[in-house]
Amino acid sequence: MTWLRLHRHAFADALRRLFAQPVASAFSILVLAVAISLPVLAAVALQSVGSAASSLETDPHVNIFLALDASDEDARRVGEALRSNPEAASVKFISKTQALAELRSTTHLAEVLDSLNGNPLPHAFTVRVRTTDAAKLDAARDAWSKLPKVDQVVADFEWSERLAKWIHFGNTVLATIAIVLGAAVAFIVGHLIRLQVVSRRDEIEVSQLVGATASDVRRPFLYHGLSQGALAGVAAVGLAAGVSLWLGSQLRALTSNYATEFNVIFISPSTCTAVIAVAALLGLAGAWWAVGRELRRFAPVR
Amino acid sequence: MIQFSSVAKRYEGGLEALRGVSAEIASGEIVAVTGHSGAGKSTLLKLAAGIERASSGTVVVHGQNVGALGETALAMLRRRIGFVFQDHKLLFDRSAFDNVALPLRVSGFAGDEIGRRVRAALDKVGLLAREKAMPVALSGGEQQRLCIARAIVNRPSILIADEPTGNLDADYAKAILELFQSFHRVGVTVLLSTHDEAGVDRLGCRRIALASGTIAP
Repeated sequence: MTWLRLHRHAFADALRRLFAQPVASAFSILVLAVAISLPVLAAVALQSVGSAASSLETDPHVNIFLALDASDEDARRVGEALRSNPEAASVKFISKTQALAELRSTTHLAEVLDSLNGNPLPHAFTVRVRTTDAAKLDAARDAWSKLPKVDQVVADFEWSERLAKWIHFGNTVLATIAIVLGAAVAFIVGHLIRLQVVSRRDEIEVSQLVGATASDVRRPFLYHGLSQGALAGVAAVGLAAGVSLWLGSQLRALTSNYATEFNVIFISPSTCTAVIAVAALLGLAGAWWAVGRELRRFAPVR
Repeated sequence: MIQFSSVAKRYEGGLEALRGVSAEIASGEIVAVTGHSGAGKSTLLKLAAGIERASSGTVVVHGQNVGALGETALAMLRRRIGFVFQDHKLLFDRSAFDNVALPLRVSGFAGDEIGRRVRAALDKVGLLAREKAMPVALSGGEQQRLCIARAIVNRPSILIADEPTGNLDADYAKAILELFQSFHRVGVTVLLSTHDEAGVDRLGCRRIALASGTIAP
């Protein structure tokens, strides 16, 4: 009971201190919120780009062009070889005559094509592949380019691989930023708590003289740091949500002219909770560091 | 109750406040520590209250060797001892009531119990009507009594007062000493320091006379 009461008193004391100087508290919480919201916004950006990329990359396929002198018999043999590959989900053959007809109907090149003697287009295959694993794709591409009469193997998903690598790099940058700004949050809270400790020096001294233990003295400051961190976490999530909403509407206006729709995807509720929890813990860590440092400096018993 | 055995206290910088002091204060006794300023009175009192540690020798309070206690045990010992500071050590950012309530809040008492005990302590020193007053609004004598109220609010079995009559006029000093006499009468062990020899004579209690850090012959 006594233990619970001590914690309740410490928590009440911390909140009282926080609201005793509402403007100063609001400013420091805002500073912390801005620092925390930066990695949150970076995460939102990465998540949105990643999701947009994956929606484009619905149909990974490889185009295989045969040599111009390849016969129908050559094409049949290549087709068989392609179909027997386990990575090929489906194989579509486009004969040179088919390709020419398509070109004639979809472009205005009919006259140019008529002026040529013969068909300039090769036989081609479009293979939809099952895997997105880079190593397997490379292996399949190698095997197919070695087939007789195959001239070129073009995989048009290379850009998405490259994008995936960039997103991976982005995640690394994000983690680094999060760690640096997290440390900044702990130090800012620590500094604010240190000022509190110094300004309450007399109270701490008298408390210790009448029998407060080190943890009795530490307790309200730890709650102060914890609540400051948690409030900053809530403010940061709110700030990031506001910015994301606004940017999202701007982006939709911009991309409405394009076929694809790009959406800003905000972090999930569980991630929001985690952000607030981590902010609270950083506040706690900062307070712990600061109080420990200051208490050692003016211990009453020598 | 309080036992000093060959106690010495050396402060950083070489000042030797006490040298080989041995003395004993029995339970329920009232004892005055006398001597000129700088004789080591304050140091002896602080050692008895667990506010400072001896450089050598042992101090035993409530059957506990103060020098051997850890930080937390020392804090717990301090809760069982009321101390009236020479410089009062009142907090000027809060009311008389909140100053007296501090030791109870530190010990984790419930709100209604705090209210009861604080008012009883303030009543005892005659400050019940001033519970909402800030310390700056109190006279020197009232501040002294407020400090005494804070020292007794935990109902300690040992009450230690460092120069409680220091800057007070004779009448006021007499009233304060009578207050300590009344605590003594209800069984509290009282240890106080003073250079007011006349006051001690009136009190008629045993004295420990210090001179230059040793017991005066």
